[in-house]
Amino acid sequence: MEQGAARKGGFRRTCARLIAGWAQCGAGVLCAVVLINVASVIGSIFGAPFAGDFELTQVGIAVAVFAFLPYAQLTGANVSADIFTARAGPRVVAALTGIGSLVALGFALLLLTRMSTGLADQKAYGYTTTILQFPHWIAFVPILISLALLALAALLSFIKQVEAARNG
Amino acid sequence: MADPLVLGFAGLGALVALIALRLPIAYAMILVGGVGVTLLNGPAIFMAQLKTLAYGQFSIFDLSVVPLFILMGALATRVGLSADMFRAANAWFGSLRGGTAMASVVACAIFGAVCGSSIATASTMGKVALPELRRVSYSPALATGTLAAGGVLGILIPPSVVLILYAVLVEASIVTMFMAALLPGLLAVALFMLVIAVTVTVRPASGPAGEAVDRAELRAASLAVIPVALIFLAVIGGLYIGLYNPVPAASIGVALVALYGFGRKRLAWSGSREALLETARLSGMIYLILLGAEMLKIFMSRAGVPQAAAEWMVQSDLAPMTILIVLLVVLIALGCLMDSLSMILLAIPFFWPVLVELNGTGAGFGMDTEHLKIWFGILALIVVELGLITPPVGLNVFVISSIAKDVPMGEVFKGVLPFFSAELLRVGLLLAFPSIVLVLPLWLGG
Repeated sequence: MEQGAARKGGFRRTCARLIAGWAQCGAGVLCAVVLINVASVIGSIFGAPFAGDFELTQVGIAVAVFAFLPYAQLTGANVSADIFTARAGPRVVAALTGIGSLVALGFALLLLTRMSTGLADQKAYGYTTTILQFPHWIAFVPILISLALLALAALLSFIKQVEAARNG
Repeated sequence: MADPLVLGFAGLGALVALIALRLPIAYAMILVGGVGVTLLNGPAIFMAQLKTLAYGQFSIFDLSVVPLFILMGALATRVGLSADMFRAANAWFGSLRGGTAMASVVACAIFGAVCGSSIATASTMGKVALPELRRVSYSPALATGTLAAGGVLGILIPPSVVLILYAVLVEASIVTMFMAALLPGLLAVALFMLVIAVTVTVRPASGPAGEAVDRAELRAASLAVIPVALIFLAVIGGLYIGLYNPVPAASIGVALVALYGFGRKRLAWSGSREALLETARLSGMIYLILLGAEMLKIFMSRAGVPQAAAEWMVQSDLAPMTILIVLLVVLIALGCLMDSLSMILLAIPFFWPVLVELNGTGAGFGMDTEHLKIWFGILALIVVELGLITPPVGLNVFVISSIAKDVPMGEVFKGVLPFFSAELLRVGLLLAFPSIVLVLPLWLGG
C-alpha cells in the first residue's frame, strides 16, 4: 500500500517534471524569437535585414505559448473568482475546482483531436508561411504534444482535487 | 430553435454563474462560447473552426509582444532594478516629510517603465521599500497603502500588457496607446504624491521625514538610475519615434535587461530560469483567456448580443457621456469579480460597439472614432486597474499584506482609500479634459 503511494507520488513527480521541462523548451523558443528580432534590428541598421522575422515570430510565439499551457494548468495559474465561494468548505471548493479540471481535460482532448485533423489538412493542402515557405504542419507537431500534456496536467489536477474532496 | 438573442443573453447568465462557481474564467468562456455556437449553428461549423482557431489566435503578430514584455518585467524584478530605483528616489525625496513614501511612488513609476504588470511592481517594490518605510516609522496604513497603490503604476506607465490587449481588440496601434498612456500615468504619480503630502500634513506622525543623504550617496544613487533610463529610452523611446515596431522593441528590452543582469553578475542561470517559468505561467494563462474570449465573441456576435446592446443604448436617449460613465462604473463593479485582463477581454467586445454607435449618432463625444478609441482605452485601463486595490479581490493589497505580515488586510485597504479617491479624481479629469490623453499621440503623430 505504502509502496503503491510512493510509486504514485513518483509518477506524478515525473509528470510534473516533464510538464515543467516542456514549458522550458517553450521558453527556449521564446528566447529564440527574442534573438531573431534583435538580429533583425541590428541587421537592418547594417542594411542586411533578417528575412522572415515576422513569420518566425508568429509561429515561434504560437508554439511557445502552447507549450506553456500545461505548465499554467499544473501550477494553477488559471484565475477563477472566489468571492461567492469564499465561505464554502474546503471539500466543496475542491469539488468545484475538480469540475474545472474536468472541463480543462475535456477541452484539451477535443482540441487535440480537432488539431490533429488540422495538421492533416495543413499537410494535405501544403500551407506554408509566405517568405520562408515554412510548412505550418510542422508547427502543429509540438502543439499537439503540448495539448496531450495539457490533458495530462488537467488529469493530474483532477486526481489531486478528488483526493482533497474525499479527505476534506 | 430558441431566438438567438435569448440564447445569447442566457449564455451571459450562464457565464456569470459558472464564474461564480469557481470555474476558471478562461474555461467558463470556452464552455459557454463552444456550447452556444453549437446550439446556434449546429456542431459542424464549430468543429471545423477548432482545427485552426487556437493556432490562429496564438499566432496574432501584435500579441507576440505580450510574452516578450512579461519576460522583460520578470527579468527586471530579478536584476534588482527596483532596489536601484528606490535608493535613488529616496536620496532625492527621503529627507522630506512623507518623502520615503513619495520616493516609493516615484520608484514604482520608474520601474513601471520597464515592467508591464501591476502585481510584479507591487511585490518587487514592496519587498524593497516596505522595510525602509517601517524603519523610519511610517504608519502601517500609509506605508502599505502607498505601495499597493504605487504598484498600479506598473501598468499605467507603458509598457502595459492590458493596454496591448485593448489595442488588439479594438484594432488600435499599440504605439499610439503607449503614447496616450504616458501623460495620464505621470498625472497619477503627481496625484499620488499630493495624497501623501496631504496625509502627512494632516497627520504628521504618519510619515516622518527620513535622514538626508550626503552628496556622494546622492550622486551614486542617481547614477544607478541611468541603466533603467537607457533601457526605457531604447524600448519605449524607440517606439515613440518610430525606430521599430513593438515586437523588436520588446525583444531589445529583454536582451538589454538580460545583458545588464548577466554583465553586472546580478542575474544567475537559476534567476533567468525562474523568470522564464514565470513568463510561461502568465503567458499560458493570458492566452487561454484570450482563446476563451474569442470563442465567446464568436457566439455573442452570431447571437447578435453586442449589436442589440448598442441599439438599446442608443435608443435609451441617455447622453453619450452618461452611458460612458455607466460603462466605466460597470467595469469598476466587474473588478470585484475578476482580474483586469479577463475584464478587458470580456467587456470591451461589448462596450466598444456601443460607443462607436453612440459616437455616430447626434453629437456623440465630439471627437472622431480613432480618438474615442484612444481616450476610452486609457479610461478603461484606469478603472480596470482600480479592481487591484479595492475589496474583495484587490490583488495588490493581498501582495502587500503578504509582505507586511504584521499589518492586517483592513489596515492596507484603509491606507489605499485616499489613493483610490485620487484615481477617481483622475478619471474625472480625463473625462473632462480628453486632451490630457490625446495631446501626446497627436503631437508625436501616432
